[in-house]
Amino acid sequence: MRRREFLKNLAFASFMLKMPGWLQAQTPSWPDIAWVEGEDPATITRKAIELLGGMKRFISRGDKVVIKPNIGWDRTPELAACTNPEVVRALVEMCLEAGAKEVIVTDNSTNAPQRCFPRSGIEAAAKAAGARVLLPNPYRLKKTAIKGVWLKEWEVFSDFLEADKLINVPIAKHHSLSRLTLGMKNWLGALGGARNQLHQRLDEAMVDLAAFFRPVLTVMDAYRILLRNGPQGGRLSDVRLQKMVVAGTDPVAVDSIATTFFDLKPEDLAYLPLAKERGLGEINFERLRLEKRKI
Amino acid sequence: MKKEKSKKYRFLQISRISSQLLFFALFLYLLFFTRFTGEDTIGRVEIFFHFDPLLGLTTALASRAIFAAFWLSLITAVLTLLLGRVFCGWVCPLGAIHQFFSFLFKKSRLHKPRKLGQSGLNLKYLLLLIVLIMAIFAVDLVGYLDPFSFLYRSFITSFLPWLTKINHELLSFVYQLHLARLGDYWNQFLATLAINATFQQGFLLSLLFLLALSLNLARERFWCRLLCPLGALLGLISRWNLLGLKINKEKCIDCHLCTLQCQTQANPYPQEDWSQRECVYCFTCASICPTAAIDFQLGWKAEPVPAINLSRRRLIFTSFLAAVATPFFKITPARRRSHPDLIRPPGALPEPLFLQKCVKCGECMKVCPTNALQPALSEAGPEGIWTPVLKPRIGYCEYYCSLCSQVCPTGAIKELTIEQKINVRIGTAWVDKSRCLPYVVGASCIVCEEHCPTSPKAIKLVRTETKRPDGSVKTPLAPVIDLDLCIGCGICENKCPVVDRPAIFVTSVGESRSETNRFLLELSL
Repeated sequence: MRRREFLKNLAFASFMLKMPGWLQAQTPSWPDIAWVEGEDPATITRKAIELLGGMKRFISRGDKVVIKPNIGWDRTPELAACTNPEVVRALVEMCLEAGAKEVIVTDNSTNAPQRCFPRSGIEAAAKAAGARVLLPNPYRLKKTAIKGVWLKEWEVFSDFLEADKLINVPIAKHHSLSRLTLGMKNWLGALGGARNQLHQRLDEAMVDLAAFFRPVLTVMDAYRILLRNGPQGGRLSDVRLQKMVVAGTDPVAVDSIATTFFDLKPEDLAYLPLAKERGLGEINFERLRLEKRKI
Repeated sequence: MKKEKSKKYRFLQISRISSQLLFFALFLYLLFFTRFTGEDTIGRVEIFFHFDPLLGLTTALASRAIFAAFWLSLITAVLTLLLGRVFCGWVCPLGAIHQFFSFLFKKSRLHKPRKLGQSGLNLKYLLLLIVLIMAIFAVDLVGYLDPFSFLYRSFITSFLPWLTKINHELLSFVYQLHLARLGDYWNQFLATLAINATFQQGFLLSLLFLLALSLNLARERFWCRLLCPLGALLGLISRWNLLGLKINKEKCIDCHLCTLQCQTQANPYPQEDWSQRECVYCFTCASICPTAAIDFQLGWKAEPVPAINLSRRRLIFTSFLAAVATPFFKITPARRRSHPDLIRPPGALPEPLFLQKCVKCGECMKVCPTNALQPALSEAGPEGIWTPVLKPRIGYCEYYCSLCSQVCPTGAIKELTIEQKINVRIGTAWVDKSRCLPYVVGASCIVCEEHCPTSPKAIKLVRTETKRPDGSVKTPLAPVIDLDLCIGCGICENKCPVVDRPAIFVTSVGESRSETNRFLLELSL
């Protein structure tokens, strides 16, 4: 049953991602990427989703949605180590408005989750919006075939496998090994086991994970971005107020856009060209239809 | 003669049981809330300790300083002065546990009360004397036998972990039955409680707790009668208390039931033998007396109370023994050179002062969000057994957390704000290049650097030439420690993928609290 649902999701996701031309022929032509700048994190998140066609385009009535923010570190929002809680709140609200049956917000934190969840502000924000916030549950870990080129099998929290729809909500941050940690790297938080061993071939692991987890939507929180000392920062001077949100259906494209905030090009990160090669998404901005707004 | 039990004392007995339940519930409540609940500061979850005059007295004697929070213990002292050991009978949660087990053992006939006179009761006075004399010589042993230290330590390092393990056994069963939803809620609840369930010596500490409970098989409230130094201290204070026992000789039928059932061997019958020093005012005797002959009355007594059956010779001998025994605690090399593994929690006082104040209660181990603080075995010498040490392989010091310093009941860990705490060094990290993956096989691995919480990071990544086993050369990024910035939190050691003996490790050298455990005078080269 689960397997069937999962395959269904996979089919649906690849359908959404791989045949945009065919799809867009019938629907009003939605942009690939919505890129919104503004003062309030929740407002720009709502605007970005609206530009993409509204949450109803991605979430159907009765869906079980899992939202995956980055709740990795014991840091408060202004230090930009975890996803902005207001972005998460807005997404939870929109999913429920679109008719989702249940919205789960979870992450396998690096620091003690009992500290990261409250201190990031995400627990309170998501709960207030009506989500179920789940601390990582070891009983829900399941050895799963990732079927990647390098990563064959790993323990995955089954919440992610059983969801009807996945929404990835990373935050854009500096990282010393992959240079930037963006949406694709965020999937490490869906894994259990000795994740720290994946760093030995991190780029390949990230691409394999991006090929496995297929979110209907990637919403990059770039309200505050972390320029140095990533992935957890620690000083306000490591943080820049970027006041942006980038959303899209193509996870590679969203990550590619985010590289520009750090004065980098997608080609500067080894994993983005690798992902493009694997057919997971687009890194060439000219081939993307961008909708950029400032509110 | 009309046989009728006293309703008044039955009511008082029930009140006393309710009071015990209430204080035990309060103890549990404070214990469960000794964790991170979302705020940087925590309330006075350790307040029970401050009502304990023994802890106040011994830490003041040993450290030659008075810790202000212990003013509350004056309340206990005055209460005892007026009404005797009601604290033991009505308040003490450890007393309540012992009494509950005594009750169970009596009901199940595992323990049969016997008449014992006053035998053995002196032991606790001798223990009290030893603890006090040692404290005068700056060796603080009170934590091993103080009822609050014992109770908290036992709950924190054995009972709560045991409870957690049981819950996890049941949980995996629940998941096997495919009751996933129930399991999810249960697991969330458990995770929210954040109980630390991994403790070195956990087995030994559990055995000691079980031993203390099973002593109730030998005598009712064995601990309270024979071992408790706080009970002894309160017994001494209660010498002039106003609440006295009266037996109505006309009603008394000499059945000895009161003495037989007395929880603490206070010998209510005959009245002249009653020891107000031992009585905890549980009112069992007055309540079970078949003819309601026993009454407790407020009033000043003129007649002298029976003295403690301790000869002057024995007192002098014990004092002498305690005094001459103190050097034994100082033979350990721990006093000459800091142990590399003796990583104390942030805010811990310099080692000698820390040992004079720490009462081994385990509150810091309970509140630590990563389970990093562990009861010491040999790292700190014989007085330091069960004092907290940070074990990076079990947990690490969370950067923005100073909870351990806030819950310490005696100030052995000085209270720190977050701003103060992040500037405290508890040790220094070192790279073991013979095990570190970039240095050994040229693999890229930046896990320690990624986790380093300081900004700028204390672990820098530097390109290094590594000769691989096949002779080829690789130039990976490899960790190099900036000794100026490292605070010794231990997250690098904790997260290192070289699992068994991590390739990066923390030792105590460089800790802020020590003037001797250093390696460079000027860190900035």
